[in-house]
Amino acid sequence: MEAIWLYQFRLIVIGDSTVGKSCLIRRFTEGRFAQVSDPTVGVDFFSRLVEIEPGKRIKLQIWDTAGQERFRSITRAYYRNSVGGLLLFDITNRRSFQNVHEWLEETKVHAQPYQIVFVLVGHKCDLDTQRQVTRHEAEKLAAAYGMKYIETSARDAINVEKAFTDLTRDIYELVKRGEISIQEGWEGVKSGFVPNVVHSSEEVVKSDRRCLC
Amino acid sequence: MSDKDGMESPKAGASQSDENRQSVEGAGSVESSRREEGEPVTLTRKRPEAKPSSEPLPAEEPGDHVHKGSDSTGAYQTGWRYWGSWGKTFLSTASATVATVGHGISNVLEKAETSLGIPSPSEITSEGRVVAGGSQSSEASSSATVDDGSSSPISGTFGVLSTLSTAVQSTGKSVISGGLDALEFIGKKTMDVIAEGDPGFKKTKGFMSRNSTLSQVLREAKEKEEQRTATEVTMATEKKAHYGLLFDEFQGLSHLEALEMLSRESDSKVKSVINALSGEELEVLKGELEQLKEAFSLAEFYDDEEEEKKGDEDFTKEITSLFSELHVSTKPDKLATARKSAHEWIEKLNSRAPREEEKSEENPPLDSGDAEQDVKISVEDIHAFAIRSLAELTAYAIEMFHKTAALVLHGQQQEVSAPGRAKALSQMTIVLCKELSCLAKEFTTCLTTAGVKEKADVLNPLITGVFLEASNSASYIQDAFQLLLPVLQISLIQARTELSQQ
Repeated sequence: MEAIWLYQFRLIVIGDSTVGKSCLIRRFTEGRFAQVSDPTVGVDFFSRLVEIEPGKRIKLQIWDTAGQERFRSITRAYYRNSVGGLLLFDITNRRSFQNVHEWLEETKVHAQPYQIVFVLVGHKCDLDTQRQVTRHEAEKLAAAYGMKYIETSARDAINVEKAFTDLTRDIYELVKRGEISIQEGWEGVKSGFVPNVVHSSEEVVKSDRRCLC
Repeated sequence: MSDKDGMESPKAGASQSDENRQSVEGAGSVESSRREEGEPVTLTRKRPEAKPSSEPLPAEEPGDHVHKGSDSTGAYQTGWRYWGSWGKTFLSTASATVATVGHGISNVLEKAETSLGIPSPSEITSEGRVVAGGSQSSEASSSATVDDGSSSPISGTFGVLSTLSTAVQSTGKSVISGGLDALEFIGKKTMDVIAEGDPGFKKTKGFMSRNSTLSQVLREAKEKEEQRTATEVTMATEKKAHYGLLFDEFQGLSHLEALEMLSRESDSKVKSVINALSGEELEVLKGELEQLKEAFSLAEFYDDEEEEKKGDEDFTKEITSLFSELHVSTKPDKLATARKSAHEWIEKLNSRAPREEEKSEENPPLDSGDAEQDVKISVEDIHAFAIRSLAELTAYAIEMFHKTAALVLHGQQQEVSAPGRAKALSQMTIVLCKELSCLAKEFTTCLTTAGVKEKADVLNPLITGVFLEASNSASYIQDAFQLLLPVLQISLIQARTELSQQ
């Protein structure tokens, strides 16, 4: 665990129950796919460092929320302190796609006065044969809300890395341009500590690690 | 399009125990000290609250102030009582080890007296600064003067925390004024260790005040530590054994914050319900809530202390069965796994211990850093693993409490009454704390075995550090447990309402 990072971003992952939020996050943070996974209770926490440029690391704190309605009052409390979010739906579940709008409305209300930078994620893209939502309509919806769209699979490790790092980069750009700023009493973005010694040389080239299961 | 990104590499939470030898900073720089016969250990109780600025403590009467400043809540009291007994077993083990190689109380007192004279707060503070090399002392002194007397269950729990941690606060000051009785058996070395062994937590305790929540305190300490280490090249080795950072790495801090949030919400709901009631109705409810509170006194810590000599599998079994009593839809798997791997590690170590002894060299590894980088597991490695295990177990225990709170509040219908759950949870807290104590003992036994050839300067701080973090861990768990009270209270109220509506 490396403590040197430029910023810390808090990201929230939302979407209907069983669209695969926890699996996506665990693939990203633990590098493996959990076949069986109990429904998330309330909220769960994960973290990982992402290197957006050589030597520039961002620490991501990822809030995994329960999709179940009964925990909504808990998960709502986490919108406010999030700078970014992944809004997931399951490409094999049309209903979860239809609820995207509702999710966005909900976050808008509860994130006030802040705004969350969202990316729309069509998950379980390995199950293409059971697809119920076309890429085209998903992209259209994303564009309508000013979001990017990406399709991912936690099971086959498709685009997982990209979904998180792209979002991180986008937020980083906004921070750099001053459109998002660090504020007292807001946990979305925090400044890290710049080391005396630059450790860029020690960067390990990531190995081509595929799904372990 | 599915450009498979084969780059899914899990990132660095990874905890490979790299070869880096962890050097115990400052342990070698301690002034050489005579060997003295350690004092027999008689008393281990800690003063719950140090009040250095208001009454500088005469060094001659260590044991008498034990209950000073403990005029506080019930939870506080019992937590404190608990410490009396548990802390004893706990620390007497430490002292037994330390005493053989350590320094007697007279040495400590002499040191304290000569360096402090009559300790005025500022002097003590500066002493603390010297010892610790830190910069938190001034904040510490201001927070130490914060008045206690809060009676809400949430802040009341800090009494528990402060029992031991205050006594060993490493801002020097508190060590002197708050814990002479502690020093009596821990010895002079402890002071150095407390001051230097775990700088982050030293700061933590300095911040301890009844107005901040536990997670705030822990977070600040962690951030300070991050800031500190980020500016040092030695970071990697030092961080390995930093409890606060590890605790956060296992998401303990986040779960604690989440639990605090649920607890706060529940607490205010309970209050508004109470405010809305009057007359007999109010009295009845108050009575029920009071009953519930009793389960939170952890009174049973005493009851089965003696018979607690159970086998290894029992922990998992006990926790699991207690958990099922809660009737919440989550399992303590992480906890059981973490505990198991800790014990397996210890076993493995013990089985290879004899072989290791033969190869240790004349000079302590402190100075010969690179010389012994082979397979040998150093005492520093053991220490690092011990701290890591304690942080991991504690984080998972708190995660478990957090999940329990979420499920109690938002679960399906209630199959178990709130008092029933309270009982199971308090039992669980006890089991957890005992487990931590047990684990700490095993780790320190490993340390003693592996470190027979080490100098006391090297070994004692490590041993003390393990005990210290284990007792801190137990405090955090107990504090987290107390946070569940309002949660169960509101669930009790909800159950009553449902009942009356039927």
